[in-house]
Amino acid sequence: MKLVCSRENLHNGVNIVQKAVSAKSTMPILQGILIEAGDTLKLTGNDLEIGIECVVESDIMEKGSVVVNAKMFGEIIRKLPDSDVSLDYNEESGIVVIKCGKSLFKIHAMSSEGFPALPEVKKENSFSVESSLLRDLIRQTIFAVGTDEFRAILTGCLIESKNNELNFVALDGFRIALRKHNLEGDIPDFSLVVPGKTLNEILKILQYTDCDIAIYNSKNQILFDAGNFKLVSRLLEGEFFNYRNAIPEDFETKITVDTKELLSSIERAYLISIEEQGRNYPVDFKLYNDTLMITSDTTKGSVKEELEVEMEGSDLEVSFNPLYFIEALRVIDDEKINIYFRSIGACTIKPTEGNSFVYMILPLLK
Amino acid sequence: MKRIIFLVDMNAFFISCEMSRNKSLKGKPAAVAGDPKYRSGIILAPNYEARKYNIKTTMLVHEAKKLCPDLILVPPDHKFYSQKSREVMGILSRYTPVIQQNSIDEAWLDLTGCTLLFGSPREIAENIMKTLMVELDLWCSIGISENKFLAKMASERKKPLGITEIWVSDIKEKIWPLPVREMYGIGKQTEKKLVEMGLFTIGDIAACDQNILYEALGKYGIELKRLANGIDTSPVEASPVQDSKSISRSETLARDITDLEEAKVVLMELAEEVGIQAREQNFKGKTVSITIRYSDFKTVTRQKTVKPTFLTKEIYKAGEKLLEENWNDKKPVRLLGIGLSSNITDKFTQLNLFDIIESAPEGKKQEKLELAMDSIRKRFGMDVIKRAKILKDNDD
Repeated sequence: MKLVCSRENLHNGVNIVQKAVSAKSTMPILQGILIEAGDTLKLTGNDLEIGIECVVESDIMEKGSVVVNAKMFGEIIRKLPDSDVSLDYNEESGIVVIKCGKSLFKIHAMSSEGFPALPEVKKENSFSVESSLLRDLIRQTIFAVGTDEFRAILTGCLIESKNNELNFVALDGFRIALRKHNLEGDIPDFSLVVPGKTLNEILKILQYTDCDIAIYNSKNQILFDAGNFKLVSRLLEGEFFNYRNAIPEDFETKITVDTKELLSSIERAYLISIEEQGRNYPVDFKLYNDTLMITSDTTKGSVKEELEVEMEGSDLEVSFNPLYFIEALRVIDDEKINIYFRSIGACTIKPTEGNSFVYMILPLLK
Repeated sequence: MKRIIFLVDMNAFFISCEMSRNKSLKGKPAAVAGDPKYRSGIILAPNYEARKYNIKTTMLVHEAKKLCPDLILVPPDHKFYSQKSREVMGILSRYTPVIQQNSIDEAWLDLTGCTLLFGSPREIAENIMKTLMVELDLWCSIGISENKFLAKMASERKKPLGITEIWVSDIKEKIWPLPVREMYGIGKQTEKKLVEMGLFTIGDIAACDQNILYEALGKYGIELKRLANGIDTSPVEASPVQDSKSISRSETLARDITDLEEAKVVLMELAEEVGIQAREQNFKGKTVSITIRYSDFKTVTRQKTVKPTFLTKEIYKAGEKLLEENWNDKKPVRLLGIGLSSNITDKFTQLNLFDIIESAPEGKKQEKLELAMDSIRKRFGMDVIKRAKILKDNDD
């Protein structure tokens, strides 16, 4: 195998596939990146949970394939000068020669035999979204996925399509994040749970990409295909929490409030409510006279914040873990939001127009 | 209004329970004692006839036999005593809902404002004593006062079948002359310290400078001085409020066991007792722990976090899993224990979806079932309703 490509392209490619390489794997081959030079140069990482392949622009002089240790190879490429890189693999010696400018590396490599191929995902249940939209759908829900290994299904994000409506749902028991989007075209109905880790990696990869992404899913796998890279992930098995019944429709008090102002107030109150040793005190919400008063009183001191709001319904007092509000408000792009309170029971945050999101937060009881 | 507090203390409770179901023991010296063939060969509860021979609790069986060769020994049946204890509490609850059980055989009752219903304190006490004798064939002593401490002190004055009133105005005469060891709350160690300080009577404590007591005994010293002066404002509470609490039961087995299935049955019985108490106090714990003590006295405790529960089924399930994971079938086991605890010091409870959903129909079902079992047992006895696991294994 012999090829030449720019350091930058190779570096980008390695960065992407590295996200699917597990450093802790007990199988050395899974700690590696598969480099395949066929008609194009393809890099692959696969820890059997997530598999990513990425096509890198290059000139291929001699076809072939090899597996190199991802960590070492990645570090080398990262530190090389910005110039063309040539890779030369001699199967008999088992050594990859990396040349770039005046640097020369000879590294031991592994045969590509035995590197697990990415699972084939049948091209059914497909739909296509812009990367920026996919990014938003993930970003605006992923923070609410659970971390409790005993409820493994909740460590994933539910993606469901029904009547051309696409829902992303994450919940950890204390809150629910729901994001809706209406798809165009004829989309099949499906419902699947994607591990939070997978979506986090996609989010990182998509950060600088603008393209259309085709998404396919089968019973056990989901495939994100952006043309120059593909990500395949296993799905979580099991029944997702029936979130629909948990989101209340009724409320006692409704307010309309400026998102950023509310976020800043709660972030300030959090400075007092956050305690050492990871224990949080609540912040108290008090609604009266078109005013939302946010207070927190702890061993550290106290804080009081007042916000003007549009208010409907009765005066009310309720307490929350401020972090749940902060995390939701941070991902809401709308300038103004409606919040529906109940004195005992869940509170919901919704857009002032449309129904593109619902954030539900359960209170702290004193 | 002056409070009226009773302390009802069952006399020689274990052996009295035995005498209530085996009348032939009556009038003869008898005692509940661990079987001398096994390890626990000590006197647990002598009856009053046995006490005439100077036989005391914790005395070794063979020593007791020396004092009274005719002493009849009865092996302990703790389940039966627990059941009798519940029956006693059931009767006491006819007089007031405000009851605090202090141990298996005694409880405080707050009868403030009940005199119009039942008569003077002494009349109420006589009534309680008579009812316990007639319905359960058990004896008690009752102390009457205006707080828990003095009621307890009063109940100790005359046994058996005593009714003693000690009001705050009586303490100079009735409490202060008593030696410090007679004071409720003072054990051997504290007694030693007090005597070294030159405090011999409860009156000495009452008169002692607070700072001196604080230096010697810390906060407890100040509490002692208050009590010695007859001041005790603590309320009679069904389940005293605690930041962290735990309920546990353990049993030293009559013989060492090596069979996991046999251990599970014991564990189920213990889990049931823990569950009953937890439900009684409406206490949901989130840590289940088990204790396994092997015949060589090596002891392991293991614990597991569960979602907050007071259900026997859940407590047992967690305990069973711990037992299976930690069972060493090569070593005989002499003691098993299970406990439910929580370290909730947070004053706040974060509501969560699972509680909301699970306390809905399906999850509530088990709760209803166990609460129903509790109330059936309260009325008709522990053995009226049993879990199949325990039944089956008793039969074969």
